[in-house]
Amino acid sequence: MTAQKTALPAAQKRAPRILQNALVQWIGVAALVVALIVFPLVASPTLMNIGVFALIYALPAIGLSLLMGLAGQVSLGQASFFAISAYAHAMLITRTPIPEVLAAVLAVGVSMLIALLVGWPLLRLRGHFLALATLGLGFIVYIVARESDFTNRTLGISGIQRPEVFGMEIGNNGLFFYFVAPFVVIGLILALNLTRSRAGRALSAVNDSELAAESLGVGTYSLRLKVFVLSAAFAGLGGVFYAYHVRIVTPEIGEFHLSVEFLLMVVLGGLGSVWGAVAGSFIVELLRDGLRAIIPTIIPGATGEVQLIGYGLVLVLVIILLPGGFVGVVQIITRWVRRMLGKGPSTTARSAKLQGASDQTPTGAFSAAIAEEEAQRIDSAVEQAAANLPEMPTPVATGETVLRLEGLTKRYGGVVAVDNVTFDVPAGRITGLIGPNGAGKTTCFNMISGAIAPTSGTVSFLGREVQGRKPNVAASAGLTRTFQNLQVFGSTDVLGNVYMGRYRNGRAGVLRGMLGMQGAEQRRHRDVARDILDALNLGDVADLPAGDLPFGRQRMMEVCRALALEPTLLLLDEPMAGLSGAEREVLAELLRRLRDAGLTVLLVEHDVAQVMALADQVAVLDDGDLIAIGTPEEVQANPKVIAAYLGTEEDEAEQVLEGVAAVDAVRSDDPKEDDDA
Amino acid sequence: MLVDFLQLTVAGLSQGSVYALLAVGLIATYTVRHVINIAQGDFAMLAGLGAVSMVAGGVPLLLAVIFAIIGVTVASVIMERLIISRVKNLTTLVSIILTLGVSTLIQACMLLAWGAEGRRLPTFPGSDINVAGISIRSQELWMLGALLVVGGGILLFYEKTKFGKALRAVAEQPVAARIVGISPVVASIVAFAIAGFAGGVSGVVAAPLYLATWSAGLLLGLKGFVAAVLGGLVSFRAAIIGALVLGVLEQYVAGYIDGGFKDAVAFLVLILVLIIRPQGLVLRQSAVRV
Amino acid sequence: MARSHRRIMPVALAAAAALTLTACGGGGNFGGDDDTGGDGEAEEGPIVIGAVLDITGVGANLGVPEQNTLQMLADQLNAEGGINGREVELIIKDNQSTEDGAARATTELIQNDDVDLIIGASRTGPSLAMRPIVESEQIPNISIAANAAIVEGSDWVFKTAQNDVVVIQSIIDNMAEKGYKTVALARDATGFGEGIAEMITEVGAEQGIELIATESFEPSATDFTAQMTNIRNAEADANIIWGITPSAGLAQAAYVQLGIDAPVYQSHGVANDAFFEAAGDAADGVLAPMGRLLVADQLPDDDPQLPVIDQFVADYTEEFGTPPSSFAGHAYDAWKIAVIALEEAGTDADALRDAIENVSGFVGISGVFEMSPENHSGLDSSALIMAEAGDGRWNLAE
Repeated sequence: MTAQKTALPAAQKRAPRILQNALVQWIGVAALVVALIVFPLVASPTLMNIGVFALIYALPAIGLSLLMGLAGQVSLGQASFFAISAYAHAMLITRTPIPEVLAAVLAVGVSMLIALLVGWPLLRLRGHFLALATLGLGFIVYIVARESDFTNRTLGISGIQRPEVFGMEIGNNGLFFYFVAPFVVIGLILALNLTRSRAGRALSAVNDSELAAESLGVGTYSLRLKVFVLSAAFAGLGGVFYAYHVRIVTPEIGEFHLSVEFLLMVVLGGLGSVWGAVAGSFIVELLRDGLRAIIPTIIPGATGEVQLIGYGLVLVLVIILLPGGFVGVVQIITRWVRRMLGKGPSTTARSAKLQGASDQTPTGAFSAAIAEEEAQRIDSAVEQAAANLPEMPTPVATGETVLRLEGLTKRYGGVVAVDNVTFDVPAGRITGLIGPNGAGKTTCFNMISGAIAPTSGTVSFLGREVQGRKPNVAASAGLTRTFQNLQVFGSTDVLGNVYMGRYRNGRAGVLRGMLGMQGAEQRRHRDVARDILDALNLGDVADLPAGDLPFGRQRMMEVCRALALEPTLLLLDEPMAGLSGAEREVLAELLRRLRDAGLTVLLVEHDVAQVMALADQVAVLDDGDLIAIGTPEEVQANPKVIAAYLGTEEDEAEQVLEGVAAVDAVRSDDPKEDDDA
Repeated sequence: MLVDFLQLTVAGLSQGSVYALLAVGLIATYTVRHVINIAQGDFAMLAGLGAVSMVAGGVPLLLAVIFAIIGVTVASVIMERLIISRVKNLTTLVSIILTLGVSTLIQACMLLAWGAEGRRLPTFPGSDINVAGISIRSQELWMLGALLVVGGGILLFYEKTKFGKALRAVAEQPVAARIVGISPVVASIVAFAIAGFAGGVSGVVAAPLYLATWSAGLLLGLKGFVAAVLGGLVSFRAAIIGALVLGVLEQYVAGYIDGGFKDAVAFLVLILVLIIRPQGLVLRQSAVRV
Repeated sequence: MARSHRRIMPVALAAAAALTLTACGGGGNFGGDDDTGGDGEAEEGPIVIGAVLDITGVGANLGVPEQNTLQMLADQLNAEGGINGREVELIIKDNQSTEDGAARATTELIQNDDVDLIIGASRTGPSLAMRPIVESEQIPNISIAANAAIVEGSDWVFKTAQNDVVVIQSIIDNMAEKGYKTVALARDATGFGEGIAEMITEVGAEQGIELIATESFEPSATDFTAQMTNIRNAEADANIIWGITPSAGLAQAAYVQLGIDAPVYQSHGVANDAFFEAAGDAADGVLAPMGRLLVADQLPDDDPQLPVIDQFVADYTEEFGTPPSSFAGHAYDAWKIAVIALEEAGTDADALRDAIENVSGFVGISGVFEMSPENHSGLDSSALIMAEAGDGRWNLAE
């Protein structure tokens, strides 16, 4: 019961930190608002000119920073969405009688539509393809605008009237600044909300490990597509303001150089930081004017786009020396100032805490509370764990089929990795999948989880065929997994990892996330995640970066993460690998209790002894074939199994199957299965 | 008319041979480092402008061309050592942003050093020929010859020599490369040297016909890149064929549709290929895993 | 609405402080839009002329000589005592060859520097971007870009470069003299080549000359085989290549390469030496209408422009070491017209505008200007001579 006692106060202690973060953000926004109000009153006209364009360009930059930070994608054609919308808006208000607000909405909509059409096929591909395609799109937009009569060729669209707000004409830079500023502030807030929302966290998890995130039900593709379309919307809004301000839209605004400038803003501001994008747009605009003034004085006779030399240098130096950009520098300074002032959570304290944890578990055990000499506490720990676990939903009665494999086959060229495997996994039972090295266990496992597609055959989960679909399809239905080679989300803390397991149980989408209308839902899930961590004795490390945990505790964290999903079927990929004897015992006991609570478990394991001791049903693969399935006793007695494990040396084989001999020999994976991972 | 068609084809093939040399360089660096080098075309322009200046300074054409190619090869290796290899965890995406920075930097330096106007290198020795009404400029033959010799040589190096084969394998199977005795560092330097060399050659053979301009490299490099994508970013052969096809296609569009849309062709092809067949036009399926 | 001169003490906010580095004369950012430049302005103190030029960016080869010219003329003028005893202050802004840069610079000149007149921009796009601003602020603007759309229907914008249609008129006249009946066109796909085909069709119809084929090429294009093959097939009596260097020169080389022997006319866009670098030997025999500047040494002694051009070339060459380009000539004309009008009308915006419209018989570098309320360009085809390329330079054609 000790863990439960610490759980609540811990949560209370941490509540202010979350609050503090929100507070810092709102102070930041308030400071920005004040700065934006004051700026036109004090800035010189030159600076004012820079300021207005910085604000207009901040919008596409925010969009690009979302795309880069959240979706992990780069657009080299952000200017094309800016241009499409500027053109659409300019043409609508000069050629049609529709109201200007509606024209602006339609113009942004056109940008979003084009983004959807481009992103739809391309976001299915690996990261750099979108970058290349958007680069191509940029050139196409530029050339089409230049060559088509519809866009009035090189002369572009002019004759755009200044906007009017409540009958007042926005007739000068100062007013225009105030006209754009609210949109930038709102855009910034929406973007900040999004990064912290369910969708935002899911996407940053995807950037850490796409496979793990998808196994928790994250639909990577559709989220990325939404963010891409959203980033085009930001660019489009910027385009509308551009059209209003410059009052002529020509093909040049879609040019590659502007896309590069947007990219520079995001990189310089701080990759993927929304604040950075806003800062970056001001920095780049100042830089441009500064460089054009300075370079000709350094290099006499320099004409042309002399600012490019600065752009190039800055881009290269920032990526090499300051990958965090402007925001990164600010963070370093803040940390330094805090340390000088001697307050705030210093990194030394943090690492000391971590040190303490690993001191107690030098062998990489997964819980400080469970060392060898404390074996007697295992039972109570696990008992307590089971008591606090979330409900294990059992949509089908114990013993009925949860998962059915029928004729599952995978071929690689001429090699058959898995050949026509058919078996059922019954509900509320632990099923073990074993086999000697290279038998096709991992391939089979990956086909079930959706990581790879079978050549033929079906995988039915709760009556629904899921083979060949992305892992998130099965995960949404309640099937999730852990990983032999750990897939932790390194960009967040332990709590954040487990919180991701709640993804399936949340509903808030991109829109709700942006509007910040999911606080209650997020808090509820965070509480559940914390309860699970406390239950499995990880409560003390909930706030540490996940990557800092020792191996065993990371494995346990993955189990927590999977359990947080409230799965019907839990797939475990060699869960015992790398764990100490005591840790194995605790995990085994935990799994038994989870089974008793209604969870169905399928595990692939090399540790044959553990499987025999743990599983209710064991399936044995050899050379891609299912050679035996039944209770552990039946399987152990099966001569084919014995033969498969050790050829003709039956004595030794029996020893292995009884768990007497070490099974380390089968540890190393064969390269063929490596390929699948 | 057949004569026109053939005339366009000849021009397209010469233009395509420049794209092909750039594509070969791009693939060389992609296979080893998974770097997409946006600055590849700028190296070509650098070689062209460098040769123009040397010729203007009294250096014989042949020597100027050789020095320019060597200079750009060295510059490419310097970029690898000084910039590319400095970035930890260099993903393909980051490499695009990084080399975009390098490209901008090189362009700006060329602008400051040579000014905005295009410069022409003297035409290589030889005289223009006319076959059945099809006029072929001698420089076009030099361009095609350069592709044949340099592109073919690089192809042979990668496909026939043990070192070359190992080099190709570095990105996919570092172990295999180590067995042959190539360290990743050496492999990377060699790849960038090859890329610089191919880029330099393309720059000097094109400069007498197309002029060398500070700003033209980016677009040229990107078209080479489109060709490389046609080869799935791994196949030299497919990329060379793709580059020639692209060059010819551009000419047909300019000749039969509208010259103003010529530059859009490459990017339309790029988007279509990415959508329909992202693994490139290679027949082997294993080229790119998506 | 009177200009607001509120000065608000800088607020000591860290965020704002960073942004106020160059903020010295704050408070001028809310200048009303109907704040006319001339309103209640004192007819004393320095006269402020603003210029928005393509000093950096793609238009730099136009903007830099223009900048030189304006600076030189302003210094000369002030040395001579200014305009009616008032000193002239010239403020040159770079628009970076972009539309937004031009809009930015124009706003700044009007709101910050309180200019009386603006010269520029160097190219059509930036000029068009300036137009709505100078019109709503009611500041006279003399553009040095070519496209007729810059001044069409405008009360406040003038220009000194010849209209494209004047150049085409000159080419068509020459063709008609030689008896050509058909013409094919290859034009560049920028604003410079915009609308050229339509103008040729229209002007040609008057002389019985028909445009039978039109090709376009990108300004960045390097290979022109496709366009020139189509031109060859058109088999016109004469062909027009309409573009700027280097692409027009490369197109010329391809033209000769493909063995087309019909005569070629090019535009005033090749009136420079760079054309010869790009076209090489293929340039020989090309005809192009252009201002008298490049062939000044061959002009007859009684040409009224001769002394003006000679003086300008001498001054410019002495100052900058190179002879002036025709773009420098456009800037010269814009400056001189501005000075004539300012001498006449002072700095009241409406009076100044009217004075520019009344400039008549002014002998400039590009021709003799006859401005009027209907014609804000002021040049006709007499401003052009036909030049022929030969021996790597432009010569007066017979």
